[in-house]
Amino acid sequence: MIGSYDFCGHYEWTFGWFDRVGGHALVRDYWNEAINHDSQSHARELIRREGIPGMLKYWGHTLLEESPDLGFNITHTADVFRIDFHDCPSRGFLRRNGLKNYHDYCDHCMGWTGPMLGEAGYVIDHEHNHLGQCWWEMRKAGTPDGHAPAGSVAGAKDVRLRPDWPKDPAKLDRYTKANDPDAKMP
Amino acid sequence: MSAPALSPLPYVDTKPQGSADFYYAVNATFRFLLQRLGVEGWQRYLEEMGRGYFEPVNRQWSQGGLPAVARYWRAFFAAEPGAVVDVVERPDRVEVQVRECPAIKHLRAGKREIVGEYCRHCYFLGSARAEAAGLTMRLSGGSGSCCHTYARPDAGLAPQDLRAIKEARS
Repeated sequence: MIGSYDFCGHYEWTFGWFDRVGGHALVRDYWNEAINHDSQSHARELIRREGIPGMLKYWGHTLLEESPDLGFNITHTADVFRIDFHDCPSRGFLRRNGLKNYHDYCDHCMGWTGPMLGEAGYVIDHEHNHLGQCWWEMRKAGTPDGHAPAGSVAGAKDVRLRPDWPKDPAKLDRYTKANDPDAKMP
Repeated sequence: MSAPALSPLPYVDTKPQGSADFYYAVNATFRFLLQRLGVEGWQRYLEEMGRGYFEPVNRQWSQGGLPAVARYWRAFFAAEPGAVVDVVERPDRVEVQVRECPAIKHLRAGKREIVGEYCRHCYFLGSARAEAAGLTMRLSGGSGSCCHTYARPDAGLAPQDLRAIKEARS
């Protein structure tokens, strides 16, 4: 049986399998069709219906279940919903267990949440360092380009204020007002 | 809580059980595979996962025999939320008697459309893993309760009849 306990392991293995069998297009379709439109349809419907309060309900519940040690922080106002991951439960599982079958596991988050939030009328600012730390800001589409300064939304909980957060942007995957997992900033 | 260092599970987490909502993703993955690659593609995915991703477990089984199989399944289902399972050790086989399948139970509770072939995944995956460990595997029942049998080759189990595996119903 495929279980839930080591889900992140076989989920990551699956990305690599799809990539080998059908290339990058099949991986993208998997994230959008199977995860966004099927598995996470409850999140999709909630966020399309309620916007930022729906994001709070969805991620507040899901992250607490996946990360009871609270390796994350949620901040929200009327205009922005932000998550800082200081210890991503999913990436952490892979790192602790030495699992790697796909070149960038972290891309899957933008792979399904990007299209989901786009369909709800939101865009995403995001950076991840591939080591279990990342941040996300979701705002209404049409918001001007660019990232908010570190600390301006989440205060001291902003992951970019960590001493180990890379100073070199080349060590990060970065997105601004994006919905497409391939829309990484150069 | 960390899993013990000598856990029979090859991949360990910091929490004692998985999140049941992940069964939604497993069900959706099967639907996607069946639609895009057909039954043969889905079966190939499961067999390759069985030989690849689960290789550390297969090695444990190969080295430890049926007692290792029993230890693994007890630990596996202890980490699956909502599972009600008995693992019975007999001289030539281990029976994993699933009285309440945690995945089917959660998918039904969430009112999800369950892929009809869902229960067959345990056979395609399990038999690939058993074969890699020098064992045989059979499955009967399904749609919420079933019995997985892992046996030594000399147990002489009858060939698997796929009709013995029930279609999963929402």
